[in-house]
Amino acid sequence: MTTPSASAAHADGHKLHPYPPGDLAIWVFILAELSAFFVLFAAYAFTRLKHLELFNAMQRTLDVDAGMINTLLLITGSWCVARAVAAVKRNRVRTSAHWLLAAILSGMGFLVVKYFEYGAKFALGINLDTNLFYTFYIALTMFHAMHVVLGMSILAIIWKKAMAGGYSAHDHRGIETGASYWHMVDLVWIILFPLVYVMR
Amino acid sequence: MSTHFLNIVWVALMVATVLTWFIGKTGYVDTGGAAAVVAMLLISAVKGWLIVQDFMALRRVKFLWRALVLGWLLLTLALILLAYWLGLK
Repeated sequence: MTTPSASAAHADGHKLHPYPPGDLAIWVFILAELSAFFVLFAAYAFTRLKHLELFNAMQRTLDVDAGMINTLLLITGSWCVARAVAAVKRNRVRTSAHWLLAAILSGMGFLVVKYFEYGAKFALGINLDTNLFYTFYIALTMFHAMHVVLGMSILAIIWKKAMAGGYSAHDHRGIETGASYWHMVDLVWIILFPLVYVMR
Repeated sequence: MSTHFLNIVWVALMVATVLTWFIGKTGYVDTGGAAAVVAMLLISAVKGWLIVQDFMALRRVKFLWRALVLGWLLLTLALILLAYWLGLK
């Protein structure tokens, strides 16, 4: 499923493009993912209502510093991907590939921080059954981490193609497709971080 | 989208993230009540808005697509606000 070139429609500075960047299929997938996270966030917020003391006490046991570092890493990854798209539109394919690699490294940094964060919790014997808060914490963050892994896999595929010179200023739908998915992963975390780590 | 503008958006997102962390670390999240909750949700709204409009590059895409993603953002934050407001009562 493809859409007309965004760059062609943007040739007129004021004209709005009828379709978002990248393949239209990824946007169907993105909207489905956003719907799933909407349900999970609503479930967390309204379940918390019935267990306020538990959720507030357990939230204090989370590593908010790790949460912040991971937010900074995902935002930086998103910025790198946006720079990769900007570079390929200027026909700077090699530069675009370097930005994509930087985004992948940001994603790896996110997973490393998550590994140590989970490790500290699991060492204390915390698991999905510990209590309702930790059920949500582990389920929500692991579900999101799976999306980070998928996003990194997509970025790795387009990075490889970019390194081989497979994109240009006129043919960069693949990069825009991967970029759109990666930004969705970032967007979801923008809500997950304050909701699970900070707000009480 | 100029790269300079993308850099500005990145810096703004980083600063906003540190602001949310600061609200948590300083204890304002415990003393601020509804104001702290609203502040964090507003920060999330601004961050989400910037990501959707400038990183996802939906700013120059027809309204329907922007409405779907920005609508998701605002609806999610509104529902969270409702749940937390009910918890503060």
